[in-house]
Amino acid sequence: MTVTVSDRVRALDRDIRAAAPHLCAERALLVTRYFKTRADPHQPTVMQKAEALRFLLANKAVHIYPGELLVGCFTAHRVGGGLYPELHGVAVLEDLFAFETRPVNPLRLAPGDRYRLLAEVLPYWVTRFLAMRAFPLRRALAFVKDQLAPRFYLINETGGVSHFVPDYAGLLRHGTSGYRAMVARELASVAPGSAEESFLRSVLIACQALEEFAAGYARKAAELAGAETDPSRREELREIAATCRRVPAQPPETFREALQAILLAQIALNLESLDNAVSPGRLDQLLWPTYQREVAAGRLDAQAAFELLGCFALKLCEIVPAFSRRITRFHGGLFNGQVVVVGGQDRDGADATNELTMLFVELMDQLRTRQPNYHARLHPGSPRSYRARIAAALAAGAVSPALYNDDVIVPLVRSRGASLEDARDYATVGCVEPVASGNSFLSTDAALVNVPLCLELALHGGRQPRAWQRTGAATTAIAGCAAIADVIELLRQQLDFALHRLLDDLGAIERANGRWHPTPLTSMLLGGCIANHRDASSGGATYNGSGIQAVGVVDVADSLSALDHLVFRECRATLAEVASACRNNFAGAEKLRARLRAAPRYGNDDAAADGMVGRVMTLFADLLRARTSWRGGEYVAGFYSVTAHQAFGEVVGALPNGRGAGEPFSSGLSPQSGAERRGPTATLCSMAHLPLAVAKNGANFNLELAPWVGAEEQGAAWLGALIDGSFAEGGMQLQVNVLDPAVLIEARDHPGRYPGLLVRVSGYSAYFDDLSPKMKQEIIDRTMYGRPNALSRHS
Amino acid sequence: MQQQGLIFDVQRFSVHDGPGIRTTVFLKGCPLRCRWCQNPESLRPRQEIAFFAERCRGHGDCFAACPHAALRRSPAARLDRERCTGCGDCAGACAAAALRRVGRSVTVAELLAEVSRDRSFYASSGGGVTLSGGEPTLQMPFIRAFAAAATGAGLTVGLQTCGAFSWSAFAPLLADLALIHYDLKAIDGRLHRELTGADNRAILSNARELAERGAPVLFRMPVIPGANDTADNLEAVARFVLGLGARRLHLLRYHALGESKLAALGQPRPPMPDDGLASRHAEASLSGAVRRLRELGLEVST
Ligand code: SF4
Ligand code: SF4
Repeated sequence: MTVTVSDRVRALDRDIRAAAPHLCAERALLVTRYFKTRADPHQPTVMQKAEALRFLLANKAVHIYPGELLVGCFTAHRVGGGLYPELHGVAVLEDLFAFETRPVNPLRLAPGDRYRLLAEVLPYWVTRFLAMRAFPLRRALAFVKDQLAPRFYLINETGGVSHFVPDYAGLLRHGTSGYRAMVARELASVAPGSAEESFLRSVLIACQALEEFAAGYARKAAELAGAETDPSRREELREIAATCRRVPAQPPETFREALQAILLAQIALNLESLDNAVSPGRLDQLLWPTYQREVAAGRLDAQAAFELLGCFALKLCEIVPAFSRRITRFHGGLFNGQVVVVGGQDRDGADATNELTMLFVELMDQLRTRQPNYHARLHPGSPRSYRARIAAALAAGAVSPALYNDDVIVPLVRSRGASLEDARDYATVGCVEPVASGNSFLSTDAALVNVPLCLELALHGGRQPRAWQRTGAATTAIAGCAAIADVIELLRQQLDFALHRLLDDLGAIERANGRWHPTPLTSMLLGGCIANHRDASSGGATYNGSGIQAVGVVDVADSLSALDHLVFRECRATLAEVASACRNNFAGAEKLRARLRAAPRYGNDDAAADGMVGRVMTLFADLLRARTSWRGGEYVAGFYSVTAHQAFGEVVGALPNGRGAGEPFSSGLSPQSGAERRGPTATLCSMAHLPLAVAKNGANFNLELAPWVGAEEQGAAWLGALIDGSFAEGGMQLQVNVLDPAVLIEARDHPGRYPGLLVRVSGYSAYFDDLSPKMKQEIIDRTMYGRPNALSRHS
Repeated sequence: MQQQGLIFDVQRFSVHDGPGIRTTVFLKGCPLRCRWCQNPESLRPRQEIAFFAERCRGHGDCFAACPHAALRRSPAARLDRERCTGCGDCAGACAAAALRRVGRSVTVAELLAEVSRDRSFYASSGGGVTLSGGEPTLQMPFIRAFAAAATGAGLTVGLQTCGAFSWSAFAPLLADLALIHYDLKAIDGRLHRELTGADNRAILSNARELAERGAPVLFRMPVIPGANDTADNLEAVARFVLGLGARRLHLLRYHALGESKLAALGQPRPPMPDDGLASRHAEASLSGAVRRLRELGLEVST
């Protein structure tokens, strides 16, 4: 397919990259103003929230940038991050005096914004933000303090739920006018004054909010068109105005209208709930009927569609998350998790790949951007051309798309209660989490758990070395264990103890989200809510649940394998010796450490070592199963770590796998850097043979290949074969980095020299320059170790 | 399936030993002693111990572990190879992995299970298993049994050989080979003996036999600066290959990797005039050979 990135799109890309990311005070100020001065405290919260959204969308700055074909701004700045003071924004403001000067992810502030945030926003919300409302005061203060430097777990849901795939298919089919009609019908069946009625009325307000938002852009475009001297741009602006007058109120008729409708909704959803992981989903499927119709009518061709898709992708790059440094440690890389999924099966199980799928793959390769987070679905029926194009892009150093195996994921989504058709129509959210499209509210990023900390506690009777007090369960001394199963039992007890506390806290947060942070617009665009007359935050969507991530599982499993090997099989050391060596960070125990390191480890297709990872995964998932989410639905386990494997690593001492105190854990279900010694196929087999059915919330697997693979003529073919072979073995997910360590090292030493250098972090892409020094080092290490030893041998 | 073979490595994701993604099995033992050999651990047809002095941390666990008092204190002369039986106990005891066992024996069934682990990748790439070494044909009964079993299990098998085998023992293997990499070093008998310590008559006649039978053979030649890259040898090789009716020749570049491995194995350095020099000239020597051989009418790959 010969399409190219147009000059217009290149220029937009340049402008966005050149723009300094800002912390945008607009959302915080408008929402605060609404609640302070306009909200009617007697109105149900859900309606107040809808009105607040309406006020925000009606009053926020309207910008149309040069050359844009699709319009709408997340923030008042070209690139910016909004603040959610009613959620975690108050905590983010701990960096208020450091945003501009901090070395990693600096954010600028517009003049006066710092003062306004300090004077207007903080005082109002400091007693009202979600955590404060979730717990009694003293508990709330302790909770917030803990969560800013978490040790056991980090509850992301304290910052809102979000993390869903909106029903954009519905939006394209109905427009807000259609939703209005739907709500009107439902209103007839609910009792006046009931909670159901308030919810439905709030959806009507949300419709209005979205329509007014579009109208604002229509006005702005018309106004600019009036002043425009360039006739072709004038025409474009007129078309923008016409488009925004029609959508999203009416169902879109053209390809451009469809993208514009989705974009406006995408912005509004981010502003309403939380700017994290509102994932557009299967755009190649959603847009396909419109595309076909327009192409058939001769009103659109591939190149024009490609340009619009480029405009759309770049719009999603205009938003960055605004975090404080402490929060960034867990969520590094300026990542918003807006996943666009392409390819895979349709609802009937047939191959769904189409021309638009291929346009998207072209886009991922030709216009390498931080967002959207591109994912490609594969199944045995995926066409060769599609596979080959993806492999070629990845071999040439594009780090998108990440790959998903329908054969594994469809049954997984089904196992959570989805119908077969809905499961086949899955899309991914945020980093790697699979959900049925458009009707799932699964809080996939609810919390992250520090599993190695639980192992450390198990090794030391519930007390971290050098800690003042016991923080874990009072388990018996490790020395009493006679077999590895006994050690695992101690781990289970510690984990159980930690998870109970986590789920208690999370339950309170879930209730607070339902009570204080209903999201009517989100609910309108999630199947089930209107029919159930209930907000998504209270369990209105068709599918509910919550995902909890186990971080550091591989380090825990490798530690158990090392103990098993050295202590119980070879009898070269005792548990007490290993525990004491860990306590002292292996000082004076180099030999023991070397032996521990030499023990079988995950990632080498060694059944025993890989099986241990499976055992820990299953242990974790089983413990979660004991409770259910307040919204309904089960707690399921995920095995991806964002950048939490580094942050959590900092608070855990040395482990029996030889990892030193404070060092990062391995990312997701990828082997520790340097642990894989048998090349990529062995590593892929290790990954594929894990009990992935328990990874219902997804997992990330990194495949790092040395640059020579990409450089060789057959590199793309080999890479394609690695992907296909791994999925045939039962692999679930794969993200590939074919990067040159030399380039990465140069980029590390000279920030700014490679501004466009994208790397795959943990389920998402990020610009290398936006990562913390530690994360940069990890990526470099991963790339170095990914070098398979293919020295040519000859006699 | 119970035949035993002696191997020293199984390398997965080998992409330069035939088509697709392959697993290369390195069999131990070689009848040649090429002066440039990069795999000294491949030479002796028995299990042995390699000692990497630079890794030794002086822990001393190896002394205690050795049942034959074959280890000495001095890192410079750690191993008494006269006494060592290659049992490997010391390697198990060494935390620093300074002592390593080279060579392990496997049954056909075990090896087949091991290489089958990458079955999905062979299928997705058109790859398979390559038998290399050392010289695999030194263990003819074993590789015959293995190739038959692997072929029966749906895998394709390739062979890398120096050609120094008995044709009658080899012939039954042919049906199970999808690919033969056949290495030629020198055509002139005296030069061959000088470079490899072995006679090349069998090598040349086996090449003819293969060519006559239309076997799937790819001739290869390692290009060793100052050893076999002379104009005479290049011409002789070209004439020989073309004379067999073959067109293609694959050239292998010289890499000086073997030195530290040689020391580890306690082997005297073979009389390679100057490895450093050879390495520096490897690229020029290779491109010179490519040019010349193309002039002589061969299709040359590297
Ligand atoms: S056991 Fe290993 S490290 Fe220790 S002295 Fe022997 S060879 Fe050296
Ligand atoms: S291989 Fe066995 S005999 Fe040889 S040095 Fe080691 S322990 Fe001693």
